[in-house]
Amino acid sequence: MSSKRRPFLRALLRLLTALLFLLPLLWMLAASLHPPGEPLPTTLRLLPQHPTLANYGRIFRLLPLGRYTLNSLLVVALAVPITLVVSSWAGLGMARLSKPAQRRWITLSLAVLMVPGIALWSMRFLLYRELGWYDTVWALIAPAWMGTSPFYVLMFYRAFRRIPGAIFDAAQLEGAGVLQTWRLVALPMARTTAVGVGLLTFVFYWGDFTSPLLYLRSGRHATLPVALQTLQQLSRSDWALMLAAAVWTTLVPVVLFLLLQPIFNRRPKGERP
Amino acid sequence: MPERLSRLRLSRQDRWGLLLLPYALGIFVLVIVPAVFSFGLAFFHYDALSPPVWAGTLNFVLAYTDELFLLSVRHSLALILLPVPLRLFGAFFVARLLQRNGRFLNWFRAAVYLPTIVPGAAFALAWLWILNPLYGPLNLLLRALGFAPPAWLIDPTWARPALALMALWQIGEGFIVCLAALYDMPPDLEDAARIDGANGRATLRHIILPLLAPILLLLTFRDVILTFQETFTQIYLTTQGGPYYATYTMPLFIYEQGFDLQAFGVASAAMWVMYAITGLIVVALVVIARQWHIGTTEETFVL
Repeated sequence: MSSKRRPFLRALLRLLTALLFLLPLLWMLAASLHPPGEPLPTTLRLLPQHPTLANYGRIFRLLPLGRYTLNSLLVVALAVPITLVVSSWAGLGMARLSKPAQRRWITLSLAVLMVPGIALWSMRFLLYRELGWYDTVWALIAPAWMGTSPFYVLMFYRAFRRIPGAIFDAAQLEGAGVLQTWRLVALPMARTTAVGVGLLTFVFYWGDFTSPLLYLRSGRHATLPVALQTLQQLSRSDWALMLAAAVWTTLVPVVLFLLLQPIFNRRPKGERP
Repeated sequence: MPERLSRLRLSRQDRWGLLLLPYALGIFVLVIVPAVFSFGLAFFHYDALSPPVWAGTLNFVLAYTDELFLLSVRHSLALILLPVPLRLFGAFFVARLLQRNGRFLNWFRAAVYLPTIVPGAAFALAWLWILNPLYGPLNLLLRALGFAPPAWLIDPTWARPALALMALWQIGEGFIVCLAALYDMPPDLEDAARIDGANGRATLRHIILPLLAPILLLLTFRDVILTFQETFTQIYLTTQGGPYYATYTMPLFIYEQGFDLQAFGVASAAMWVMYAITGLIVVALVVIARQWHIGTTEETFVL
């Protein structure tokens, strides 16, 4: 009997866990549908009595949200490809080194990962000012030039190390250069990793709040997280309005994730998620 | 470009090494040099306008005698104690729960990961709403269940637990790492243990946890470091260090000293202290791990 009940209990527990994790997002979405001007309910209900999308129109009238959205899109459009090239090059370079050299690069990468972000704030501020990057989009995407995070380099390294050396030898015999081998041989074999790193990079730059806070002065290049902060200061108690903006900011990465999610689950043998 | 490189008569090995060049340059310019300079600044007066002036250890004295600094150290440490173990256990047990077989498994996993993707600023706003003492859905729910809920972020005793609670929803990375580690475990291992008569708890304690220990240790390191620095956005947007400085942490102190007061030297001195504390915690963890015979970080990646 218990063997029959257990799968059911487990399925129920799984469903409840999933709902628990979605709950904050559902609450955020529900509150954003609250009609403007109406008093907030003081009894528990998920959806407002007359749900409306009016708040989404209001945020666009109150703030140049279209502009902010385009700025955010520009940031990821620059940062994601640069990150993918730099980190996959580094991962491949690392995977093709001798074993002791690989160890040294891993240690270096882990050491860089340990440096707290705050330790770099003031010096990067001064560096960007010297380079003329202060208050430009380049200050927001600067980390892309180092592959954004050594973590991504290590992800690519793990993926490329799985490719047998004979394949690289064969590519060399065919006359393929280093860059050709990267593009035509290595990268296609690490597609899942590339999509994963791309998604993580997208999420990182899309949600980055500190870089615009520290390295932008004018609103010209402000991204969506800045808009949320502005809105929070402008209309402290207009919850439906603020949460509509929060939902708008969350929408793009969530849709992207749900679209790409099947790729991670189609797991070829031997490749890790 | 490959043609030009071969004209330089580089060996094949060196040409592979060249792929590392942008990364090496990047971490040198964007991490190593800033880190070195920033730690060096602790010994200078510097306001980003006039050139730095030697200050000896004065910045450390200034930081140490600042009541807010000592407060920020205490609060930063307090903020590690609660969320880090909770996040680790949460990630592990959810990964166990969603390990294998079952319908909609992929969608359940996606649901667990989803909050991690929410941009920090949006996440902070959502929780400001959820934890709102009067209208927030959480307190409405708790009241409906017959509790007398606290004022969360507005109450000095509940503000830190509230931040810990928020952090529990963004455990996607730890979850994925645990899932991958469980996935790598030979599937027959658990079955073999069961056949030998081990119950669920014994299998967990004697087989799964020891096998996963290096990964869990790595996650603990990462979480300790992240909790020290990444909580900035959440705190800056939710409580700004309040109420009554209850959530005033080291990143906030460093930000205010550097970017509000232009006292970059004092900010650097505080950074030294922060790094020393992080180092001490990591060493303590390594010592504990050694006693339990757990291999550490580097092997996990090399394996």
